[in-house]
Amino acid sequence: MKKSKFLLILTLLAVFAAGCSTTSKSGAGEEATGEGQDQKLEITIARAFDVNGLDPGFLTENAQVVDNIFDTLVKRDAEEKLVPGLATSWSQIDDTTWQFKLREGVTFTNGEAFNADAVKYSLDRVLDPANNAPTASYVSTIQEVNVVDEYTVNVVTKKPDPLVPTRFNRYPTEIVPPKYAEEVGQEQFAQKPIGTGPYQFVSWDKGSNVVLEANPNYWGGEPDVKKVTFRSIPEASTRVSALLNGEVDLITAVSPEDREKIESSSTARLSTVERAGNTVYVGFKTDVKPFDDPKVRQALNYAIDVKSIVDKVLQGAAVQTNSLIGPKDFGYAGEPEGYSYDPEKAKQLLAEAGYPNGFSATLDTVSWYIKNTDVAQVIAEQLKAVGVNIKVNNVESSVYRTLVPAGKQSDMYVLGWSSTNTLDADAAIYAILRSGESYSTYANKDVDAKLDEARSVTDEAKRKQLYQEIQDEVLKDAPRIFLYQENQYYGVSDRLKWDGRVDGSIPVSTISAGNE
Amino acid sequence: MKHYVLKRLGQSVLAVLGAATLVFFIIRLSGDPARLMLPPEASEEQVTALRESLGFNQPLWMQYIDYLKNLFTGDLGNSLYYKESALKLVLERMPATIDLAMFAIIIAVTVGLLAGIVSAYKKNSWIDYVVNGWIFLTQSLPVFWIGIVLIMIFAVNLHWLPTSGNRGLESIILPALTLAAYPIAPIARTMRASLIEVMDKGYMITSQAQGFSKPSRILKRGLKNAFLPVITVISLEFGVMIAGAVVTETIFSWPGVGQLIIQGVSNRDFPLVQASILVISIIYIAITLVTDLIYHRLDPRIKVH
Repeated sequence: MKKSKFLLILTLLAVFAAGCSTTSKSGAGEEATGEGQDQKLEITIARAFDVNGLDPGFLTENAQVVDNIFDTLVKRDAEEKLVPGLATSWSQIDDTTWQFKLREGVTFTNGEAFNADAVKYSLDRVLDPANNAPTASYVSTIQEVNVVDEYTVNVVTKKPDPLVPTRFNRYPTEIVPPKYAEEVGQEQFAQKPIGTGPYQFVSWDKGSNVVLEANPNYWGGEPDVKKVTFRSIPEASTRVSALLNGEVDLITAVSPEDREKIESSSTARLSTVERAGNTVYVGFKTDVKPFDDPKVRQALNYAIDVKSIVDKVLQGAAVQTNSLIGPKDFGYAGEPEGYSYDPEKAKQLLAEAGYPNGFSATLDTVSWYIKNTDVAQVIAEQLKAVGVNIKVNNVESSVYRTLVPAGKQSDMYVLGWSSTNTLDADAAIYAILRSGESYSTYANKDVDAKLDEARSVTDEAKRKQLYQEIQDEVLKDAPRIFLYQENQYYGVSDRLKWDGRVDGSIPVSTISAGNE
Repeated sequence: MKHYVLKRLGQSVLAVLGAATLVFFIIRLSGDPARLMLPPEASEEQVTALRESLGFNQPLWMQYIDYLKNLFTGDLGNSLYYKESALKLVLERMPATIDLAMFAIIIAVTVGLLAGIVSAYKKNSWIDYVVNGWIFLTQSLPVFWIGIVLIMIFAVNLHWLPTSGNRGLESIILPALTLAAYPIAPIARTMRASLIEVMDKGYMITSQAQGFSKPSRILKRGLKNAFLPVITVISLEFGVMIAGAVVTETIFSWPGVGQLIIQGVSNRDFPLVQASILVISIIYIAITLVTDLIYHRLDPRIKVH
């Protein structure tokens, strides 16, 4: 018996020891210390999630990392203006054809030459339905890409499309090397990408980090930052701690509660990008009683004190707006006069609509937006003051993402939308206002016609006018409670000079050493 | 003995199969990966096309049969998010999780046993109350909170340790402490109870009559006999840690299976979640099985229930 017990302990120890022998490889990345930053600036950027692959044509997340390895034909400068990238110029040669003149003498980091064939190849593989590219919808207006000569391509669209240059600024239109991509295949390419961009791929330790180093032959000149590590730190407060501890130099998605911590730090600062986030609103199912009556919808707008929500609940992490379109987006026409906070008027309108004693409804919320549950509670309280009883229903986020496109959400629901990195009104509003679109619960024939026209005329003045008319009509018709547009925050170490961008990209080549 | 081993093995296989079935259905109850894989702007046709190409438009029972068939050939499918073999991804991440659980269990066992022995030895003294109160506290604090407080103290304020990531020995300390906080309590409590029980046994009283001092009685006779139930608790807690590292790994961005599961669930990455749960169940069930078998060898009175 004595012996057996000893044996038992020994066995358990052996089991533990076996596990211990798998001790991980350590210290892949280097600490971001200040030494020698003049010669060789090395930085670490922490994001909330790991990449899921590094092929720009088949991403399901944004292209923050990948955009440093690859180039697009068109780029955006610091003011978000479209400027030449791998294309030196572009023009519309007829209603449905855009011609791009390509930069000569550019090579991929494996030596392969960049030319018109590479552009055609990069687009064709995304457009091929057999490949199931997740973001194919971003380029689905394109009929075909034709090689004119070695440095000229024509992009032919199915219908006139004013957004062609914008589309060639954004994933999935990054240019990949055809020979290499064919040779290694799609799966391998996503593990070891090769592009023409300012950085080249070094390593990807899954779940931990992606390391890139400067491309010494970059056509745009060698960047200040010689090596960049993108780490994934999912927990927001850990991200902030890592910045304050000097482990990382730049963090994305700072939560508004953590602003103070960074602002009061002596080693890092907060970079605020006003209105870079979603425009958040309460949508109505406008074909369901009582929300089919514009008077009811207007009444609910009068009943909400948006300013106090922004100031008190969100602590200024958003900007109140009645505009459908963000200020950096094409189509923005200033801040329209909206509904003031006027509960009396709300009651009066409800009475006129036949609901003098109010009604009951359910409001769906989701954790995607800043303090959304709190905001929904305040909205419910303010609506109660005009006789409308709201039950707030919190929905789990991945469930919400399948619920809303299927139209299975409640009659009132919180949703936020933005133009993401297209910076155009079309992306900001089409999907949520055009009848029949997955995320739209609104049907207005006039608005539909104007939305369709605005995405198919290339005359900028005409487009602007159409968006202005849509804005006016929607504001009056009130298919939503107009709320606010969220800000976005980054934390930046004092040793770097960089500010967050409205398009959400992090072009590492624009980061420089900054000892101000 | 042989009969017992066979019976327990059979039960284990059934348990693994049960876990595999449960995870298959539960993850399918809540959401649609096709929708989540595409950007919000994607059209309904695009979603339908993707759903078809992934085979998610087939009736659930057909999907289940395919899943079982593949399971027996060792094919757990490709992760929808990473587009790589799900099993490979899980096995790549497993060492990091095992390292973490290993460190944590060593901490938990050391602290738990000490606390248990001390409080049994000084039963109902103020030390006993302090130790118990402290154990009660660590067990009721959320893991999440403990992790963040540890980061604030040791990384941000004292700069002794890194906040997160996996860069060798120093970065494992905080997540291991966090993960260890919970199992200390059951280990200490079992140790205390078992030791107190043993101390009332006849042979302990005999040894007292033989003139042994109290400490030497406890060390020489008591511990050896009180240890058996504690071992069960430790091995179970180790299994729980491997499965329970989810929160800790997320706080400390520890690149183990826990983080992979969180990511898999929020993307509705069916194959990845299935593979993770399957591997974890197998480890957990294997640990239980080994413990049971050793136990049975030591004490043949233990029967299959």
